Amino acid sequence: MTAYLIRRAIGALWVVVGVAVTVFVILHLTGDPAAVMMPLESTPQEIAQFRHNRGFDRPLWLQFGTFAWSALHGDFGDSLRHGEPALGLALERVPASVELALAAISLAVLVAIPAGILAAVRRNSLLDILARVFSLIGQSMPVYWLGIMLILLFGVQLGWFPVSGIGGLKHLVLPAITLGLFSMAKVMRLTRASMLDILQSDFLRTARAKGVLPLRLILHHALRNAWLPIVTVIGVEIGSLISQAIITETIFGWPGIARLAVQAIYDRDYPIVEVVVILAAVSFVAINLLVDVLYAALDPRIRYE
Amino acid sequence: MFNRRLTMLVLAAFIIAATGGSVTLVPAAAADTTVTISQGVDPVTMDPLKRTITPTTNVHYNLFDTLLRHDRDGKLIPWVATSWKRIAPTVWEFKLRHDVKFWNGDPLTSADVKFAIEKIKDPAEGSEQGPRIATVDHVDTPDAYTVHYVTAKPTAMIAGYPWEVFIVDSKYWKEHGDAYQAEHPMGSGAYIFKSWRKDESLVMDANPGWWHGRAPIDHAIWKPIPEAAARVAALRTGETDIITNVPAQYQIQLSGGRSTQLESARSVRVLFFAFNTLKPGPQQNRLVRQAFNYAIDVPALVKAVLGGRGYETATPLPSNFFGYDAKIPFYKHDLAKAKALLAQAGYPDGKGLDMVLNAPSGRYNKDKEIAEAVAGQLSQTGAKITVKIQEWTQYVNQVSNRSVTPIYELGWGNDSYDADNTLTSLFTASARLSTYSNPDLDKMVTDARYEIDPQRRQAIYSKALALIHEEAPWLFLFEYEDLYASTKRLVWQARGDELIYIDEMKLNG
Repeated sequence: MTAYLIRRAIGALWVVVGVAVTVFVILHLTGDPAAVMMPLESTPQEIAQFRHNRGFDRPLWLQFGTFAWSALHGDFGDSLRHGEPALGLALERVPASVELALAAISLAVLVAIPAGILAAVRRNSLLDILARVFSLIGQSMPVYWLGIMLILLFGVQLGWFPVSGIGGLKHLVLPAITLGLFSMAKVMRLTRASMLDILQSDFLRTARAKGVLPLRLILHHALRNAWLPIVTVIGVEIGSLISQAIITETIFGWPGIARLAVQAIYDRDYPIVEVVVILAAVSFVAINLLVDVLYAALDPRIRYE
Repeated sequence: MFNRRLTMLVLAAFIIAATGGSVTLVPAAAADTTVTISQGVDPVTMDPLKRTITPTTNVHYNLFDTLLRHDRDGKLIPWVATSWKRIAPTVWEFKLRHDVKFWNGDPLTSADVKFAIEKIKDPAEGSEQGPRIATVDHVDTPDAYTVHYVTAKPTAMIAGYPWEVFIVDSKYWKEHGDAYQAEHPMGSGAYIFKSWRKDESLVMDANPGWWHGRAPIDHAIWKPIPEAAARVAALRTGETDIITNVPAQYQIQLSGGRSTQLESARSVRVLFFAFNTLKPGPQQNRLVRQAFNYAIDVPALVKAVLGGRGYETATPLPSNFFGYDAKIPFYKHDLAKAKALLAQAGYPDGKGLDMVLNAPSGRYNKDKEIAEAVAGQLSQTGAKITVKIQEWTQYVNQVSNRSVTPIYELGWGNDSYDADNTLTSLFTASARLSTYSNPDLDKMVTDARYEIDPQRRQAIYSKALALIHEEAPWLFLFEYEDLYASTKRLVWQARGDELIYIDEMKLNG
């Protein structure tokens, strides 16, 4: 297991290096930050001075070398927009994003798994039909539209929840639902399908014949065997939350890292974009690794040599 | 067993996430004298000598004082400087008040003004504010309350944009350094900086010792809301008191709201399409440019796209700028005349004209929709017009290196209330943003810049504007009317220069 983890960690390192190189090159090909950052009436001399101060007048390979060397020492440079270290600006927004992502995925899992199990156990019942309809709607609704609708209904019309910003449970509800609903629908559909598969297998029929109680039959015998695909999808969903958070954080004025990234992309604020993309890549790789480790814990037949 | 443990873990995570991070920003007792202001973006720094973007400087204007201020009509009024005059051809003198103190008690003196100008001028600082003080060669301080801006040449306009340069506590700055100042500012303005949680809220309290008298509102919270629909929703629920950049489609809903009211101000920003006359193409023909100007029905355009919130322009200047000449007529909509001019130019019924109308998306109010409407009107001449919309950052790169052609949309606004900035930046051959070149016009703009007599200067600008009107290097469109909305409990009037001074607000009752 340890050897496996070391092998995976080395592989993950290459992924992050690959992402860093790609994002650096793509960013530098997309346009000059001087045109966006400097006032339109700036003279060519002032623009040249800006480029020189930031080192943008040097060859690209040299810029990358400096960036890579500094990044290895934890220095991603100063944000062009804020004039402060990019890493610090990104890290101070991580807690808000983690708070929202955790709430969203927890909401998704807590609703989706019981609902998926019930839909499978009571196949073709009203509950099952409702679950399937919900799953279809949940996966078809654009996040942007859903967010605005929730704001209008629960914020403006009913006045139950604040429509913008951070500040406790009430502020968390609407963004968490917006961010979590897609995952909720997806996990629910998969749980139902996975459980349906298992419920028709021979070992369950045997267990039922032996007189195992229905609840134990479902939770202990069936669910344990249905876990693997569900956990895989949850892992992937946590990863995709990073991209969906861009829309959610913008609509709800949530002070997270995704919103910082959007503004940085508009401004061609290279250091911020680089650090956010690298942090996202690290999180994605770490979640994937965690899911793989969980496989072994969930299924005794899986062992990593 | 494992399932139960996992479920418990997820549940615990959810509870922690749901209850964590609760913030109380303002004591409940002070709620009646608090206003919340929501712009689209958060300020980027508390260093007031670096950036020029409006959402950031709007916060700075409430924390820091300037030598002079513009009133709502664009008239220059004394502020920290009680008087200003030219005492020699190249010397502007400002006399400072003696009772201005920074929040920590340090007196504001001429040394602080000199420090700010020198910080901005230092190339190593990389300040965006350099263009504002470009005409100031250096600053002299004959005594603690007298400042001299010395220019290289005599300038007609007051040197150094003294209504835009924020005065900082030089002693505090030297003690703490740049990085500290960017997070912990020290100003002398109407409001004292309290706290800032980035992208979340910035809190400021009324300065009880402000030289101008304590402002009526006790606390102000700047709470950015990026999405326009969410800003409108936050206003309707009372979560915020003022919202900026209100899209035109919300004006009926907000002006007729039970608790909301619409605020508007004639902006200093004009919107236009420029012809890139430096690149080959039919746009180099003056007759084609004039024809297109006649083909546009600006009042109809403003009514249809902006709900009537705009004012037609005949020249590049807003009507309240020095140099504006009301005698220059509009290009009145006349399709027959447009077609006749095109025929004269060699394009009967627009045949052979196949042109691209470039525009950004999301930079100016309804920029994309305006481009589409203009293209529709121009097509009526028979010309083939294609609209090309681009994201702003990509677009501005092309505008900056003059590669965008043949016709491109741009907005321009500044709070100099003077013709110099607009004409120099957009029409002189050497300017980065000019896609028009005319040595006669260059000479007029330069002459006006250094002409000290206001009447003679106005005469030069009238001549220059008449030339621009005749040459038509732009499709002249309109001045914007900026839209804001506020809650009805607030008494406040929006300004045309896009600035938000909280000391100009009070609460009803």
